[in-house]
Amino acid sequence: MALVIGVDIGNSTTEACIAEVGEDGVDRLASSLTATTGVKGTPANTKGAVTAVRRALSAAGRPADALATVLLNEATPVISGLAMETITETIITESTMIGHNPDTPGGEGLGVGMTVALEDLATVEEDVPVVVVVGAGADFDDVAHLLNRALERGVDVVAAVMHGDDAVLVVNRLARRIPVVDEVSAVDRVPLGMLAAVEVAPPGRTIRTLSDSYGLASTFDLDAEQTRQVSPVARALSGNRSAVVVRTPAGDVTDRRIPVGTLTLSGSGRSLEVGVDGGADAIMEAIGRVAPLADVHGQSGTHVGGMLATVRDTMTDVTGQPASEIQIRDVLAVDTVVPSTVRGGLAGEVSRENAVALAAMVRTSRSRMQAVADALSSELGCETLIGGVEGEVAVRGALTTPGSSVPIAIIDMGGGSTDAALLDRDGAVSAVHVAGAGELVTKLIDSELGLEDREAAESVKRHPLAKVESFFHVGHEDGTVQFFTDPLPPNVFAKVVTVTPEGLAPVPVRGSLESVRTVRREAKRRVFVVNALRALAQVAPQGSLRLLGSVVLLGGSALDFEIPGMVADALAPYGVVCGIGNVHGTEGPRNAVAAGLVDVHAGTAAGPVTAAAS
Amino acid sequence: MTAAVDSVRTLQLREIGPAERGTRPEEVVIALSPAFGDPFTKTIVDVPHAEVVRQLLAGIEERGGSARVIKVYRTADLAAIAHFGAKLSGSGIAVGVLSRGTTVLHQRDLARLSNLELFPQAPLLDAEVFRMIGANAAQYAQGQSPKPVPTRNDQMARPRWQAKAALLHLKEFDCIDKNRNAVEVEPVITRVD
Repeated sequence: MALVIGVDIGNSTTEACIAEVGEDGVDRLASSLTATTGVKGTPANTKGAVTAVRRALSAAGRPADALATVLLNEATPVISGLAMETITETIITESTMIGHNPDTPGGEGLGVGMTVALEDLATVEEDVPVVVVVGAGADFDDVAHLLNRALERGVDVVAAVMHGDDAVLVVNRLARRIPVVDEVSAVDRVPLGMLAAVEVAPPGRTIRTLSDSYGLASTFDLDAEQTRQVSPVARALSGNRSAVVVRTPAGDVTDRRIPVGTLTLSGSGRSLEVGVDGGADAIMEAIGRVAPLADVHGQSGTHVGGMLATVRDTMTDVTGQPASEIQIRDVLAVDTVVPSTVRGGLAGEVSRENAVALAAMVRTSRSRMQAVADALSSELGCETLIGGVEGEVAVRGALTTPGSSVPIAIIDMGGGSTDAALLDRDGAVSAVHVAGAGELVTKLIDSELGLEDREAAESVKRHPLAKVESFFHVGHEDGTVQFFTDPLPPNVFAKVVTVTPEGLAPVPVRGSLESVRTVRREAKRRVFVVNALRALAQVAPQGSLRLLGSVVLLGGSALDFEIPGMVADALAPYGVVCGIGNVHGTEGPRNAVAAGLVDVHAGTAAGPVTAAAS
Repeated sequence: MTAAVDSVRTLQLREIGPAERGTRPEEVVIALSPAFGDPFTKTIVDVPHAEVVRQLLAGIEERGGSARVIKVYRTADLAAIAHFGAKLSGSGIAVGVLSRGTTVLHQRDLARLSNLELFPQAPLLDAEVFRMIGANAAQYAQGQSPKPVPTRNDQMARPRWQAKAALLHLKEFDCIDKNRNAVEVEPVITRVD
């Protein structure tokens, strides 16, 4: 009997499986899991690998000197890089509009008149409709008093625009109920003496006149050509509860696409150029046309070019190959939206701009696994062998899932890449790696929710949501209500939270639970479901998913509470049996490669091992 | 907010009956300490009490909430005052304020010494902050989750103001009347031109 340990160094986790290998088979003792140190396939991995080995040894209750052989996977050096590029931009010129959504605008309705500063109200003639512009520092009682006095004098005050958060207070004190938009931080830049329209919708409604091109045309008496010009204003304002539009001679709102560089895709003997501003669909369509992809270059001097260069540089460090020899073998483009501040806005308006997120993946032939193996040998004082192609070993591990059989396909959903492999009846294995996995999902959640906090985004990705309704109960995202006997901590009160094993953690967003949930599920769908279908189509016989018998999901993301279900739903129409791997009936979707390494070493036949470790 | 602080307003707390439990689910209770308004008229940094109450009420009104004001006589302990107010509040939310300005946002289900938001450095609280505290109180009462009011911090506040704070606390302590029940008051704010 020899004590053997299989170690699988992945992009984000290092797994180990320890077993006794003898004449009559394999007796698995324990497994362990730790975070990968350094970039996969570099000597920096040694530290994590040693930790994994030590943990497995102590879990199995064996001394370190009893170890005969360490088996290391031939890690395919697959690394991925991420970039995000905003491709649209809203610019307001000459203060034409205020399109922000203060929490509490005052009054309701539409008021159209000339803009007048509060200080100049006394000099305004009677019966002229005016929109009063109130600067910083004005007290609500004083403002209301001045407006009421003007109204008494016969001045037709139809609306107001304010700096402070005072709209409701002022309207409550006025003799006439007028629409008031407040919290306009740059109110001093509102042009005076111009025709302006202020609209506030009732609570729970959105504005109807200023967000409509012909509504604007009627309000400002525009001709057909002018109406065409103001239509971006209307579009920018739609969905708001309040808005101000000022008619200035040259004012405009532009909604332009930013030229962000092009990708040059080469493959199958030709190359194609595609603009990143075309969006994810155009990029993915172009990649499909040149499949199989041989290499990708980004236009130099642009973000895309910079990002692809970074990926190449990292790979140069890892493999020691010159950057010119490193090829990008896959790119996943995903459409996303990024909240960003509108240029030229008067109230810190935020618009949701379109962006494209890119994940790129590099694959080289050379790896420095031998260096890791040498370091492990000297550290642990035993023989270290590198063996097994990752896809093949993983399939072998996946086959130990009870109920699985050949032909079998696996999808390994990790942190950096999504891998698929197929073992057919003849014993031939084909495998692919595609770009984009857990890290990209985290990044999409982070940017779409505007969190700017990777930890918080990671928590949103991993855990279900709930809303804390009181100190004693929460409403979960599926609608169930849970009660507590001890009061919850004050920092989660009334917040949208993630339900983690350590307790409730607040999510720093203003949106509702539903909006956060939608962002989370969409991010997962656009990465994992898209990638699962894309990768399987590449390994499936004749590219047809219908010819796949069963699909086993592996990897850390297969432990997610909803990703396996989403992938299974997407595969269901193809008549595929899809489920979460359960390596050796005990390990779940983890440890497939580590366990597979041991099995390959022992030369055991592939097939479901029902009488496993026990 | 400068105009607000410069203009002179006086506060009179007109007693309208014993402090009782409210029923409106969006109501916020403002619980004042024994010396608030009378005999004290301003905070440790001379923010008039009229302005404190006016801005708290304005913050609540701007967010569509409603408020009741009570005055507590039996204790000058801020946590006790605020928690007492929270238990009378229809929403369970109360703002407790000491005469020198120290303020806390409390909820009735919390332990007395816990809080939703605490503003311990009275010298750093001005009209603008009181407005934001009122606005947050109203939002908590409506079941929303407002961003906590940014708390300022000044290391010099303690050495600079501690002696005055201690004196003000002693004076407030003298106004405690163990035999007097809390009362609901109507704040009458008059502008003196």
